[in-house]
Amino acid sequence: MDLSRRDLMKAQAAAAAAAAANVALPAEAQNITLGEELRLKWDKAPCRFCGTGCGVMVGVKDGRVVATHGDMRAEVNRGLNCVKGYFLSKIMYGADRLTRPLMRMRDGRFDKQGELQPVSWDQAFDTMAAHWKKVLKEKGPEAVGMFGSGQWTLWEGYAASKLMRAGFRSNNLDPNARHCMASAAVTFIRTFGMDEPMGCYDDFEHADAFVLWGSNMAEMHPILWTRVTDRRLSAEHVRIHTLSTFEHRTTDLSDAAVIFRPGSDLAILNYIANHIIQAGAVNRDFVGKHVNFRLANTDIGYGLRPEHVLEQRAQHAGDAQVSQAADFDAYARLVSEYTLDRAHELSGVPKSQLEALAKLYADPKTKVMSLWTMGFNQHVRGVWANHMIYNIHLLTGKISEPGNSPFSLTGQPSACGTAREVGTFSHRLPADMQVANPEHRKLAEQLWKIPEGLLPGKVGFHAVQQDRMLKDGKLNAYWIMCNNNLQTAPNTNNETYPGYRNLENLIVCSDPYPTVTAMAADIVLPTAMWVEKEGGYGNAERRTHFWHQLVDAPGEARSDLWQLMEFSKRFTTDEVWPAEILEKAPEYRGKSLFDALFRNGQVDRFPLSDMAPGYENRESKEYGFYVQKGLFEEYASFGRGHGHDLAPFDTYHEVRGLRWPVVDGKETRWRYREGLDPYVEKGTGIQFYGNPDKRANIMGAPYEPPAEAPDAEYDLWLVTGRVLEHWHSGSMTLRVPELYKAFPGAILFMHPEDAQKRGLRRGQEVRIASRRGEIRSRVETRGRNKVPRGVVFVPFFDASQLINKVTLDATDPISKQTDYKKCAVKVVAAMNQAGAPAPSEPDARGGPR
Amino acid sequence: MRPRLLFTAMAVACLGAGALLAQDAPRLRGPDPFTREQAAPPMQRPITNDIRVKRNYPDQPPVIPHAIEGYALDLNANKCMSCHARRFTEQSQAPMISVTHYQDREGNTLGGLAPRRYACLACHVPQTEARPLVDNRFVDMDVLTEPERHSGGRSNR
Amino acid sequence: MSGAEKGTPPGGGGTGASPRRPGLIRRLWNWFWGLKLVRVATSPATSFSLAFLTLGGFGAGVVFWGGFNTALEATNTTEFCISCHEMESNVYEELRGTVHFTNRSGVRAGCPDCHVPHNWTQKIARKMQASKEVWGHVFGSIDTREKFLGMRRHLAEREWIRMAANDSLECRNCHSTESMDLSKQNPRAAAAHERFLFSGERTCIDCHKGIAHRLPDMTGVPGWH
Repeated sequence: MDLSRRDLMKAQAAAAAAAAANVALPAEAQNITLGEELRLKWDKAPCRFCGTGCGVMVGVKDGRVVATHGDMRAEVNRGLNCVKGYFLSKIMYGADRLTRPLMRMRDGRFDKQGELQPVSWDQAFDTMAAHWKKVLKEKGPEAVGMFGSGQWTLWEGYAASKLMRAGFRSNNLDPNARHCMASAAVTFIRTFGMDEPMGCYDDFEHADAFVLWGSNMAEMHPILWTRVTDRRLSAEHVRIHTLSTFEHRTTDLSDAAVIFRPGSDLAILNYIANHIIQAGAVNRDFVGKHVNFRLANTDIGYGLRPEHVLEQRAQHAGDAQVSQAADFDAYARLVSEYTLDRAHELSGVPKSQLEALAKLYADPKTKVMSLWTMGFNQHVRGVWANHMIYNIHLLTGKISEPGNSPFSLTGQPSACGTAREVGTFSHRLPADMQVANPEHRKLAEQLWKIPEGLLPGKVGFHAVQQDRMLKDGKLNAYWIMCNNNLQTAPNTNNETYPGYRNLENLIVCSDPYPTVTAMAADIVLPTAMWVEKEGGYGNAERRTHFWHQLVDAPGEARSDLWQLMEFSKRFTTDEVWPAEILEKAPEYRGKSLFDALFRNGQVDRFPLSDMAPGYENRESKEYGFYVQKGLFEEYASFGRGHGHDLAPFDTYHEVRGLRWPVVDGKETRWRYREGLDPYVEKGTGIQFYGNPDKRANIMGAPYEPPAEAPDAEYDLWLVTGRVLEHWHSGSMTLRVPELYKAFPGAILFMHPEDAQKRGLRRGQEVRIASRRGEIRSRVETRGRNKVPRGVVFVPFFDASQLINKVTLDATDPISKQTDYKKCAVKVVAAMNQAGAPAPSEPDARGGPR
Repeated sequence: MRPRLLFTAMAVACLGAGALLAQDAPRLRGPDPFTREQAAPPMQRPITNDIRVKRNYPDQPPVIPHAIEGYALDLNANKCMSCHARRFTEQSQAPMISVTHYQDREGNTLGGLAPRRYACLACHVPQTEARPLVDNRFVDMDVLTEPERHSGGRSNR
Repeated sequence: MSGAEKGTPPGGGGTGASPRRPGLIRRLWNWFWGLKLVRVATSPATSFSLAFLTLGGFGAGVVFWGGFNTALEATNTTEFCISCHEMESNVYEELRGTVHFTNRSGVRAGCPDCHVPHNWTQKIARKMQASKEVWGHVFGSIDTREKFLGMRRHLAEREWIRMAANDSLECRNCHSTESMDLSKQNPRAAAAHERFLFSGERTCIDCHKGIAHRLPDMTGVPGWH
């Protein structure tokens, strides 16, 4: 190649500019003089794992992903990935990928008692459709349901919501995000009238102090943790306080490790609020202008089955979500009970630590970022805990500005994008709208171009309720997509598995791999994953980001989107919509649901020529229109002009994500503050415009104890959770050899003295038993997690140690999110002294007595 | 074309899903039946042979081939850096942390380990002797970019 | 409905306030003077022969000497060390999570194994130094976790200096260089031992700091970043 001097200078200037901006030049430019054989095709994508939403560069050669690395241009992570992210290249290549639909067969026909055997897509869909139609006809829409995911792409969740609500007329659609951040989502609406954080990740670089509430960021949000530690180690005055029920890698890098008794965080939070009031640190001006006070109903039960004694005994189990208007004095009276002494007594935390924490929040000169995840959300009082942290930030006015930020972290890559924004919860519609609100339903019917009155107004079954209804035979046609609920649902042996095997029910599971759930299903559909399809995710800081299909899925595996749309072809409106509605809207008669929902003049309005050249897109090519763009633009019409503005579809393929609301091409980093948020009117300073009066709610609530606590027989607290190397149930990470070998199986973290008292030693096999069931594991008295006496921790990724056979199916009564962090267990040696298996009598009544 | 042959072979293998399902891998698929109690296998021993392991691609953080139990990684001390910091590598003969570890978020090169890279174990993990539960069919880029140097199909360890 | 109150309290930082007992010295003093033998012994002799007193004195000397050593040994146990909560909830809590507490063959190193010389003269010298620790206990200079963390660098440095001065004598009581089999060590350790330990260039504590307890702030400590 003969470059002129001018060309050469231009190239050098570009390279220098790129180096200065630290921007990686496109691979084509770098490799221009190298052989064609060495060239890799690089494209951006968000990471497949947690809610952080790191940018990843994906290198493709000959139709295979051969390399990945952190994207320097992605603002979230600036070139870093955690160990899981660095091994994304290998998650799609486990040798047991599902490549054909499987169905339980006997003598060549479907039989629920038969064995899983390969079948064609048509056979699988025909069997499903026949069952769906039978159930809809015999029992109605409330007997069909779907359990989706915060890992669905935006359009997959959107298509599922349309198919379930508008197609089958059932709100029995819930995402696994219910187990993950329903408490956060519900409290956002209750407090601000709008879901999702007001701040963003830029707060990390502005805060003076970080307070982590029940969040082990070092393992669960490692890249956000790099931003926290970067700030801590770069600015001398910055401090980190971590509250947890045990010590872990996050407390290792914290200035204060505040270890409290499970559930007592509520008392600590109220003590801090009380301290702020007593110390005169309330920001009176802010509170007067921008805050309302309310008091929550108390004694609200534990979300167990209604006949459970704890529900029978609770005064407000039936109206847990109700609250009454109050004033500052009433709120101050409520929290005045939470003195330093009382908080210390309830929590076991040294007073010096509690005081230091309270002073941090009370000091008007210290910018505080509060961060929380599952410790708060998976909590029988998770909504209250979320309220209480907002109470503190609202009392002091430390909110909606750089560095002052109550920030809810999320666990899944699109928990915000798909579960919350698209609205796949059993009570939600797109853009924070609610199914129970007739106005919202009407608007959705208009935007979806479906007959008026079609959408059902009754809130559907939430995750735990779906399992109960399957078991009780009230939910009979059930599709599980993009999650592994049999491994991750609570009290799964008693409350989940029986429903899957209930002979009245047909259980369908779509997954790339044969998971625990797939193995218990009747029909298993092989699914395309991550960059095998075009996708969009929404992360914890309101950032929407897209990726292109970069490789093909193996064998006959197809995306969830294709599966949903294909299934919709097998139903006509006459079969599933009521006659009276069709009478009023005869133009819909005889249409397939595919035509009514997806070929509706909106979803199908973008031609294939709109697609970026050089990328495969299986769904669009099959249907003849740009499916993803059509679905996204229809979905975006719900939020534009209402504070949920999304940029045009094509923009997201160019940028490294944008934080909504995107107004006039500009993203919004901090909401509700004048000058930072275009929706705030001039001269107001702050407007919490999600609520009609533009004020946020401070909600007073007391400390109430957990559903189950250790006693003489079940004498330990069980806390469950994740480890760095494995993501959720491990179906992807366990198939990456390096990740598997780094943490090959679940173990029981236990205090050395608790082990000694039980005659146990490190590495010994034990039984972990609760009133629900038991599993076997091995004792770990060292390692990354240092639990106090009386507490044990077990991760849930290991399908051979299903700790959710042990956990309790108690939920927050308001958010319906499961509490996986608090139940009572006992731990005994697996072998007694004679070497025989120790006797055990698990009581399978499914609840504490 | 070797890659194409390889894909054909893999497609054929993938179709044998039924056969693969017969494998016993409770860690992936749970006990069979679900309600059965599963014994917990012994905890795996760490690999401490100090032998460097090939990376799957250039940007993969190398795994740790030695024991790290009890190594401090807190606000007081970072034991990893006692050997892997540039200034200690001569006496330790350990690999130096990569040049990227000297860069801050904006890409400026600093005089030492970037604070954002302080938590080594977020990316670098030790390995145990556990045998993978299932084969991984990831294909090394060398097989695709320099096929003439590779006699076999898959090179992935 | 039991609630959190019933739950076993977590150990946590272990800084929960414990009931304040009389100081150690006062306790010992009261106990000593309360003994009948002591009260009789301190009253003047009235009717014993010189021979009896001489021989008796010799015998008493033997008893006293034996008693001294027995008492000394009694203070030379992990149980004695952790009878003070400063030791139990700070350094001992940390020791529990290390290889010196549990390991393959079940050989455990307790506090005195590493912190008290086995040789008699040095042991007495160390015990005299330890009177400062008793002083610290009596006056509560480390009675909270925060105070312990604040003193940690100072405390650790004293041990590093002591062990550097005696060529890591207490380590070598178990880990003698002559008994090492390099073929059983991993290559990295073997190379380091060959180059630095056997040559006498370094002593154990130079590299093996923080193996039984967590480290203090290592800013400025040679070999640390």
